[in-house]
Amino acid sequence: MRLAPRSLHGRMLLVSAVATVVALVLAGSVVAGLLGRFVVEGLDRRLDAELTLLASAVDGEGRIDRARLAEHASVLDGGPGWRWRIAGPDGNVGSADFSALDVGPPPPHGRGPDRFNKGPRPMEGASEQGVPVHARQVSLETRRGGVTITAAAPRDVVRRPIRGAVVPLLAALAGIAALLTAAMLVQLRIGLRPLRRLQEQVAAIRDGRASRVDEDQPTELQPLAAELNALAADTRAALSAARGSAANMSHALKTPVATLAIALRDQPGPAEQVARIHRTIRHHLARARADAVNRRTATPLCATVTDVMAAVTAIHRDRHFQVANEVADDLSVAIDAQDLEELLGNVLDNAARFAEARIAIVAVREGRRVIVTVSDDGPGIPPSERGRVAQPGMRLDEQGQGHGFGLSIVAELVALYGGSLMLGEVAGGGLAVSLTLPAAD
Amino acid sequence: MRILLVEDDRDLGPTLAAALRAENFAVDLAANGIDGGHLGETEAYDAAVLDLGLPGRDGIGVLQGWRAAGRNVPVLVLTAREGWSDKVAGFKAGADDFLLKPVRIEELVMRLRALIRRSAGHGQPRLDCGPLSFDTQTGSFELDGLPIRLTAFEWRVLSQLMLRKEAVVERLDLLERVYEGDADVDSNSLEVIVGRLRKKIGASLIETVRGRGYRLTCGG
Repeated sequence: MRLAPRSLHGRMLLVSAVATVVALVLAGSVVAGLLGRFVVEGLDRRLDAELTLLASAVDGEGRIDRARLAEHASVLDGGPGWRWRIAGPDGNVGSADFSALDVGPPPPHGRGPDRFNKGPRPMEGASEQGVPVHARQVSLETRRGGVTITAAAPRDVVRRPIRGAVVPLLAALAGIAALLTAAMLVQLRIGLRPLRRLQEQVAAIRDGRASRVDEDQPTELQPLAAELNALAADTRAALSAARGSAANMSHALKTPVATLAIALRDQPGPAEQVARIHRTIRHHLARARADAVNRRTATPLCATVTDVMAAVTAIHRDRHFQVANEVADDLSVAIDAQDLEELLGNVLDNAARFAEARIAIVAVREGRRVIVTVSDDGPGIPPSERGRVAQPGMRLDEQGQGHGFGLSIVAELVALYGGSLMLGEVAGGGLAVSLTLPAAD
Repeated sequence: MRILLVEDDRDLGPTLAAALRAENFAVDLAANGIDGGHLGETEAYDAAVLDLGLPGRDGIGVLQGWRAAGRNVPVLVLTAREGWSDKVAGFKAGADDFLLKPVRIEELVMRLRALIRRSAGHGQPRLDCGPLSFDTQTGSFELDGLPIRLTAFEWRVLSQLMLRKEAVVERLDLLERVYEGDADVDSNSLEVIVGRLRKKIGASLIETVRGRGYRLTCGG
């Protein structure tokens, strides 16, 4: 079984709460003990004064001066439960019901020093009704024998003030405990805030909103921040290495395979084998590419459209068309910048080839997706052809450079990101290419 | 016309340089980004052909350096990578045109000629100046409708004057665009070339502007 809570917050709070309770219980019991001792000492002083008074009524022969006792009756009668007795050679004198009182020495763990004292001894007992009493007893030596004088008071006299003090004491201690716990909570909140901030920064890296965490951290967190940044850099490097090697491999293999295909064009058997090699390479490259795809990224759409459109316009500078980029500035998509450029490059290039006078780019966000639509006022593609053109795997070398050139690449790439490509028609006849892309948060 | 070719490939660089020279261009070849960047920032060229994957300094950086230094020479970028991201980066850095490797020489020459013509401010591929006409797409001159044969030096001088017809082309500027960077230039050779050109196209077309340079005058 797990005793410590999982959270640092919980652990620290638990330790501090336990420590607070232990400290307060200790403090409470010490204070209550001291208080009890003071009250008992006060009572003892009063009982001892009574004993002194009673002893003054006993002379050297052990005789009891009753007149003197009567004179001090008001002092000796402390109220209900207060009793006294003088036991001497002439018998007992005392409060009426003293006989019901049964007192003896307190248990040995009682207050020590008095047991070895010549002075009054403490005694504990109970009355006939079972009311506990606290008593003091002193022995006098007379010429006719020993006289024992006992004075008793109800234990309640001691208990009442203690009880009265303990309730507010407990309340005060509970208040202190609550205050300390609240202080601890505040301290934890403030103390753990940098951790929470660091966590948010790591989340930002994961979402592609940042590339590193802030290294301006409290001293204890600085090494962690540095390690996190190193880890993020390693991940980026590994990703770009994977991507680079996929690109290099496709690059290295494409030319020889194409050369082979041309050389073996007239031999159906070997040509079919080359085509198989080509398909296999493409399949595995696409998978390597899919693994390397960075889906946790945010690329601004409008700026990318502007950059790509500048390149497309430069390439088609002999064609004259107007471009309306109506993409909102704040839209971002969760697609790697290079891949987004590849997507938009192919779609916009296609539009630039066939537009009569106008290309329009619009984008709307729908929940977790962004739909980008590029429309031109060119001849469009007949509905029967659209499916074929946008089919992943149909490459430009297989379908020539007709309308829709490059759109199969787009379909493949969009599929890697879980998006889709749709071809439609603009009112008046142009082609409308819609890309459904994952939105960045 | 003088071209800066920045290409690190040991085969492709000299091959392209030879092919461009065969088309009458003066060519300076730099085999790395640092030399190429430096040449482009200090020398006068009519156009530059820039490979993107260069040792020393990558092509995009070289191009950005030129543009930052205020050099607006037209630049044709070469790249081995298919795909749009190099193109976008190239045009964003200030490229004027783009060519994918493997390069077809004819296409490279055609693109370069078009680039040079456009950057000289001519919208049409054919330039006329009195009886003289220049087809910028093929690089050939005609006088009264008949083709004329020119040596490489003559072609460089005449094409330069033609691109800036009716304007004075400074002597030094002309010299820079006729000779390759490592050529020994005899200060009299320009006069010799112009003299031979006058014999071929008529003395009145090329006017000497004293103390400055030459002007192609078309009005007659």
